Amino acid sequence: MIRPLVQAFREPKGYLFLAGLLALFLLPLIVENPFVLHLVIMMLFYAALGGAWNIIGGFGGQLSLGHAAFFGLGAYTCVLLHLYTGLNPWAGMVVGMVVTSLFGAAISYPCFRLRGPFFTLATIAFAEVLRILATYFKDFTKGSTGITIPQNMGLANFMFKEKAPYLYIILIFALLVFVVSYLIEKSRFGYYLQALREDEDAAESLGINNTWVKLKAAVISAALTSIGGVFYAQYILFIEPYSEFSLDMSIQFALIPMIGGMGTAIGPIIGSFVLTPLQELLRSWLGGGFAGLYLVIYGIILVLVVIFMPQGILGLFKRREGEKETLPSAEEANIRS
Amino acid sequence: MQEIIQLTINGLLQGGIYSLISIGLTLIFGVTRIVNFAHGEFLMLAMYGTFFLFQLAGIDPYLSLLIVTPILFILGLCSERLVIHPILNAPSFMQIFATVGLSVALQNAALFFWTADYRSVKTSYAGLTIPAGDLLISFARLMAFVAAVLISYGVFLYLKKTYAGRAIRAVAQNRTAATLMGINIRRIYFFTFGLGTALVGIAGALLMPIYYVFPTVGGLFVLTAFVVVVLGGLGNLTGAFFGGLIIGLVESFSGFYVATQLKEAVYFVIFILVLLLKPSGLYGIVGAEEMGEK
Repeated sequence: MIRPLVQAFREPKGYLFLAGLLALFLLPLIVENPFVLHLVIMMLFYAALGGAWNIIGGFGGQLSLGHAAFFGLGAYTCVLLHLYTGLNPWAGMVVGMVVTSLFGAAISYPCFRLRGPFFTLATIAFAEVLRILATYFKDFTKGSTGITIPQNMGLANFMFKEKAPYLYIILIFALLVFVVSYLIEKSRFGYYLQALREDEDAAESLGINNTWVKLKAAVISAALTSIGGVFYAQYILFIEPYSEFSLDMSIQFALIPMIGGMGTAIGPIIGSFVLTPLQELLRSWLGGGFAGLYLVIYGIILVLVVIFMPQGILGLFKRREGEKETLPSAEEANIRS
Repeated sequence: MQEIIQLTINGLLQGGIYSLISIGLTLIFGVTRIVNFAHGEFLMLAMYGTFFLFQLAGIDPYLSLLIVTPILFILGLCSERLVIHPILNAPSFMQIFATVGLSVALQNAALFFWTADYRSVKTSYAGLTIPAGDLLISFARLMAFVAAVLISYGVFLYLKKTYAGRAIRAVAQNRTAATLMGINIRRIYFFTFGLGTALVGIAGALLMPIYYVFPTVGGLFVLTAFVVVVLGGLGNLTGAFFGGLIIGLVESFSGFYVATQLKEAVYFVIFILVLLLKPSGLYGIVGAEEMGEK
């Protein structure tokens, strides 16, 4: 399992990655500006969650727009347990992971029979149902008022005054997601996933147990997404159904790998490091006087990206290197039939 | 008993509104297989158009149909050319992102130009109800319902009887075979997108006397419309019409007997069940749900 990781560092790309990592570790020691630290935290946060989505969405081609369900479920499980039983958030995170994995397996299993837009629509519906339920059961979840997490700073409570500890935690988490993705990318399991993404029937006929492979990827993806949910809750210290289970959140998770390059371990990181600062800057430039203008530009960028660089940023480089691209085969299949 | 009749009437009238919005979507989804998230924004634009025609020129919403519908038709054609056409062969997911982008851009352009204020038209018949015994029927909702019936039937006839209509149905049923029969499917997509958008333009004008318009109003309807479209079967007008009525009835009854806040959850659950158990919908062709890939 470790060998692919070791091999990666025989190339200059590996050293570049390590240097970037070191720079991020040192950053809080040099920079004190909270806006910069917040920006870096958000970049890492979306890199991690885009990476988690990418495991089932990018490698497996199961294009979910319901990952907010896992995100919110992790956050709500952790926060509600903390609120009612006083359970430590770190332990709550583990419980949240287990709950979300089970939920992920339960909804994925039937949904995997659906293809194309129908799968995507079904995943949206599941997230919507959770959002409505979280709003409805007010006595338990505080409904749309949301829950403000009582402040009690300290590492044990996953709650800090400073931004730096959050940055380290999200850096470790993003690294974890990257390593998991990288190992998947280079493993037999990863090849299975990519095979069934390209052609489910062909993969099945080669003896791959499609359902089992997809289920495994979905559970890993859901569990990682739930950790992200807990981090977000502990960072903002407030949760409410509309932001936790929102379609916008799901779209963002899927958009990040799409911008960077779907189905690669590094893609979501590139996507987030480009898109997140762009979004934050557009918001701070245009957010004030011109309501909506920043999102008009965002929407137009989205359309342009889909039309002109469907392979993401990595795709641009690959084309230049003259490597064989992975996704067009699906496109060709579409034209052919 | 009285209660049940009133709930049924409310449900059917609300369902008529859903049908009205879904007819255009089922055409677009059924023919192009593109999940058009911007459908709700076209509805929003049509409602703003109706609102401004009333406010600035004093044109009655029902009369402004004649102006709003052609504008929306052209808007639909332009969107197809600029956004949909280049991505017709992209994986379905990419297409969703393009329409989401279009939807975000239109929604926020409306926010930018017209602010987030809720606006409504003050017609002479606003709030007018027709008493029928002990029952109350809203005039504007009844108009929307009648329009839904007429439009469904009209488009149904158009698809059944005309050459272009038959070509559209052929493409919806089987792209490959349609191409082999010499149908220019690109042109069908282009025209269908315009037609579907024009239909939601009619819906927008008819909804204006009932609802407030604000930039995110389309979001309220678009997911419901997808539920209706899948329930009725892709590209099936009869299905969309009755699917809309069913969802309206479900909403009305579950809102009364279960809880108002849960009515959406109820129809999303129905949606999931339909997808899983009978993905071709009520009237769809079996196997059509896999056509996203074909």
